[in-house]
Amino acid sequence: MSGTSAAFDELVNRYQERLLRFLLTRSASRADAEDAVQDTFINAYRYLASFDSRWRFSTWIYRIALRNLARQRRPEWEEADETLESADDPLRNCIEMSERENIWLAAKSLLSEDVYAAMWLRYVEDLSVKEVSRALEKSQSWTKVNLLRARRKLADALNDVPLNKTAQRESYG
Amino acid sequence: MDDFEKRLKQDADAVNADVSPELRSRIDASLQGVEQVRPVTNATNSQNNLWWVSSLTGLAAAIVIIVMLNLNQTESVSEPSEDSLANRPTVPEASNDSPLFPPMLDIQAADFASPLEEELLKLQSDLEKARDSVREDVDFTF
Repeated sequence: MSGTSAAFDELVNRYQERLLRFLLTRSASRADAEDAVQDTFINAYRYLASFDSRWRFSTWIYRIALRNLARQRRPEWEEADETLESADDPLRNCIEMSERENIWLAAKSLLSEDVYAAMWLRYVEDLSVKEVSRALEKSQSWTKVNLLRARRKLADALNDVPLNKTAQRESYG
Repeated sequence: MDDFEKRLKQDADAVNADVSPELRSRIDASLQGVEQVRPVTNATNSQNNLWWVSSLTGLAAAIVIIVMLNLNQTESVSEPSEDSLANRPTVPEASNDSPLFPPMLDIQAADFASPLEEELLKLQSDLEKARDSVREDVDFTF
């Protein structure tokens, strides 16, 4: 095995779980998420020479993952809204309970894909606003504004997690 | 980190993301057949390098040609003999007083006149030969 392959093997070890966790919350099924993880690593390896070492590897690989997601886009994001028509629907109640158990389920139904990804990269992957902007190919202003709005939206929806002032300051960078 | 951020992290960690051995072997197998793509910037660099190499080669060739021409010119100019020096047309001495003939002009005129001097010597030699030939013919006739 060449040096590059061995080094990339180490990167796969380091990022496979993180990528799968992110993609599981974005895909319709586990199989789709695993396919997306595989495609992400293939593309990353193929274009490894174009990686700009000034940026963190996580920024780059999440950018690839997001592009793959956009390419393999499935309508489940919209389907989720269509299935929640009746307030008395037991399925809806069950989903709402699950959303309260895991904030990311609520985020998936409340936020757009880009904003969801921005939240994940900022608060789970601990990327800076600049890095999130680069990964999403958005401006830093867009990222700051949408992170703050997303926090407010989620806080309102969950109704039990207040948005404190330090968070507001942090979101505006 | 506030409570909201803590909860975001905790809930993300709660997602079961264990990578199965099958997925890992799939990734490894798919990476085996992948060839890395060289970035476009490398191709541009090689084109730039080629441009520089060809330019430098052209420049070196031009320098070599110029040097060779100069050497040939130097070799072709023969040393004038003492006789020829005696017959050398005199270049009027420029007086230092005259602003029209500064001292440097004398040297340049001598340099530029060298081929003409050579030609003059050849003509004189031809003339001498012709004169000898005529003299021999006259002697033979009379």
